Amino acid sequence: MIAWLIAVLGVLTWVVARQTASHLLARELDDTRSERSAAEAEKAELLRRIRAAGSRAALIPRAESLGLRLPADSEIVILQMPDSGGR
Amino acid sequence: MAKAEVRLSAVEVAFVLGLTVLLVRVGQVQLVRGAEFAAAADSQRTETVELPARRGSLFDRTGVPLAATLESYQVGIAPNELRDPPREVRLIAAQLGLSERQIRTRLSDRWIEFRGPFSSAQVYPLRAVRGVHLTASFARFYPDPDLARQLLGRPAGDGSPAGGIERVLDSLLTGHAGHGVVIRDGKGRAYESPSRLSAFPVPGHDVHLTIDAGVQEIVENALAEAIDRFDAAGGDVVVIDPRTGEVLAVSSRRADGSTPSSAFTSAFEPGSTAKIFAAAALLARNRVEPDDSVFGEGGRWVTPSRTLEDEHESETPWMTLEQAIRISSNIAAVKFAALLDPAEQFMMLRAFGFGTATGIEYPAESRGTLRLPYQWSGTTPQALAIGYEIAVTPLQLALAYGAIANDGVLMRPALIKRIIAPGRDVIVEHVPEPVRRVVPIEIARELREMLRGVTSAGGTGATAALSTFEVAGKTGTARVAGPGGYVAGSHIAVFASIFPAGDPQLVMVVKLDNPRGTYARVSAAPLTRAVLEQVLAAQTNALDRTRMTRNAAPVPRRAPSTGADMPRAVIDLPDTARPARLTRAVPDVLGLAPREAVRRLHAAGFRVRLEGSGPIVDAVPAAGDTATTGAIVVLRGTHRRGL
Repeated sequence: MIAWLIAVLGVLTWVVARQTASHLLARELDDTRSERSAAEAEKAELLRRIRAAGSRAALIPRAESLGLRLPADSEIVILQMPDSGGR
Repeated sequence: MAKAEVRLSAVEVAFVLGLTVLLVRVGQVQLVRGAEFAAAADSQRTETVELPARRGSLFDRTGVPLAATLESYQVGIAPNELRDPPREVRLIAAQLGLSERQIRTRLSDRWIEFRGPFSSAQVYPLRAVRGVHLTASFARFYPDPDLARQLLGRPAGDGSPAGGIERVLDSLLTGHAGHGVVIRDGKGRAYESPSRLSAFPVPGHDVHLTIDAGVQEIVENALAEAIDRFDAAGGDVVVIDPRTGEVLAVSSRRADGSTPSSAFTSAFEPGSTAKIFAAAALLARNRVEPDDSVFGEGGRWVTPSRTLEDEHESETPWMTLEQAIRISSNIAAVKFAALLDPAEQFMMLRAFGFGTATGIEYPAESRGTLRLPYQWSGTTPQALAIGYEIAVTPLQLALAYGAIANDGVLMRPALIKRIIAPGRDVIVEHVPEPVRRVVPIEIARELREMLRGVTSAGGTGATAALSTFEVAGKTGTARVAGPGGYVAGSHIAVFASIFPAGDPQLVMVVKLDNPRGTYARVSAAPLTRAVLEQVLAAQTNALDRTRMTRNAAPVPRRAPSTGADMPRAVIDLPDTARPARLTRAVPDVLGLAPREAVRRLHAAGFRVRLEGSGPIVDAVPAAGDTATTGAIVVLRGTHRRGL
């Protein structure tokens, strides 16, 4: 009888422990998912701010206020890459 | 006694009957309707929910995100569940960007709801607050909300895509929703059960467009500025890669700031930009030799059906086809086109793609108008030669010029460069698709030479010319047709260009509706130049600069240092910024690295053309020679291609 009782208690303990562990894991998963989602949202917001700050609409007035201007095509010098062909 | 036995028997019978009824009922509940009740119990305890799929993202050709999908939330608050209302209200207000008063005044309600939508970052700190309930959904996010807005499209009120690429590719972008089972407790609260997902949600495909975000931004800003500057009613700009047919930028705008998709959906009479197609037919059919010329009639020619006038005076009384294109002579174009029969004229225009849809992946594309020869009137051939009685979209015109730029091969346009499945497999990769050869290679090159003449001194498109790289193009100024004929004083100015002329990489069509100054040479052509200059200066891959170094405008090997034949400056600096022309000695830069050599020459006031790479071995004018500031000094590096 005692053996049966111990067996039942053992099985019940195992089930409860397993359920508890899975609940903890599920909570951890949920937290991680939320963190990832929050990080994605933050990344998107930063991306938006970078795009806005790097846009010509933002940069050109700022550059002009610093006395800079867009170069004319004659002022653009294209540097050539060394020819990779064996010579 | 007997009475007592009877009573006992009755009780026994009643007990047995009651037990029988109970057993029958148990049997009915457990065996007959067991499954039904089990299902009912299950439905009260569990619920099948749809798990939305994340919509695919849109990128430009270089991977710059144009549209993405993020989780967003509605926030519900149950005030009676809050543990520390003053502190938690402060936190909620700060996170959601609300005033504390907005929440505090409603704390007596049973339920407060803020629809937002709020981002994951905003609601993240609120997850641990008891009494705050979050409802998640997906929301579309555009990092640069105004960039290519009309092209991409936007969700309609019900969340479905209202137009543009979002609508065209909706089935690919949408993905497939999943299903899962959540467990509810006695109070109806749901608990997610990961083990009970019956179908995982499959996110949508990611799509890379052919658009270049950098060029797109330049085009949009330049068009908006031009509409403002020329007081135009609106305009369109299309930029394509002529070798692949890929659309690099497209922008349409009206003066009121609206952005219709008219570059694909609205046709107009192209005016003089169509003269090159008559020239193509004449050359392809060998109807004209380079020396053949027609009389210019002194710039005014009265025919039985119409009076033709030339805006630009010809240098000579007689004009060759090349001269006719260069000064955009209506009289010469009509006279030359008379050498073609209607079928030949029609077939060439049709071969360039006019009158048929291009097949671009965009809804409601217009195919324009090109009537069949049997529908023509007696004056239609004349009208077609100068770009009337035909209607084209800016995209069709760009593709037709693209055929000239692409050595005579018309390409199918593309807006979609790549489609990537959720597993990161590339399922579609754009492969350039030739539609047909319109003209032989040598004819295409001849046409490009004619168009190059348009931007040379004396040509109608000289205001589009750059000083370092050659632009080929054609101006067009056409009257606008209304319900009762042509509208007085209403014009469209168009400039179709090929850049660089020698080895084309870009084809651009610029169209302005009713610009002040009317003529394309003073509106559309300068806008073209402004866009090209900005593209040249921008960090964009739309131009292969290595190819361009081989096709820069020729400079004399030993340029005289007087400055008399100095290339014309492109941008007129304000007087205050215009440097005084000085004559000074060219610094010695031999042996220096190119970057340092260029820096020193710029500092001395010279402009630089660099040929080759590696340390500088030659300079023209040579070190010590005098040259006017602003003159081009050609530097040659140790390594040069082809040597």
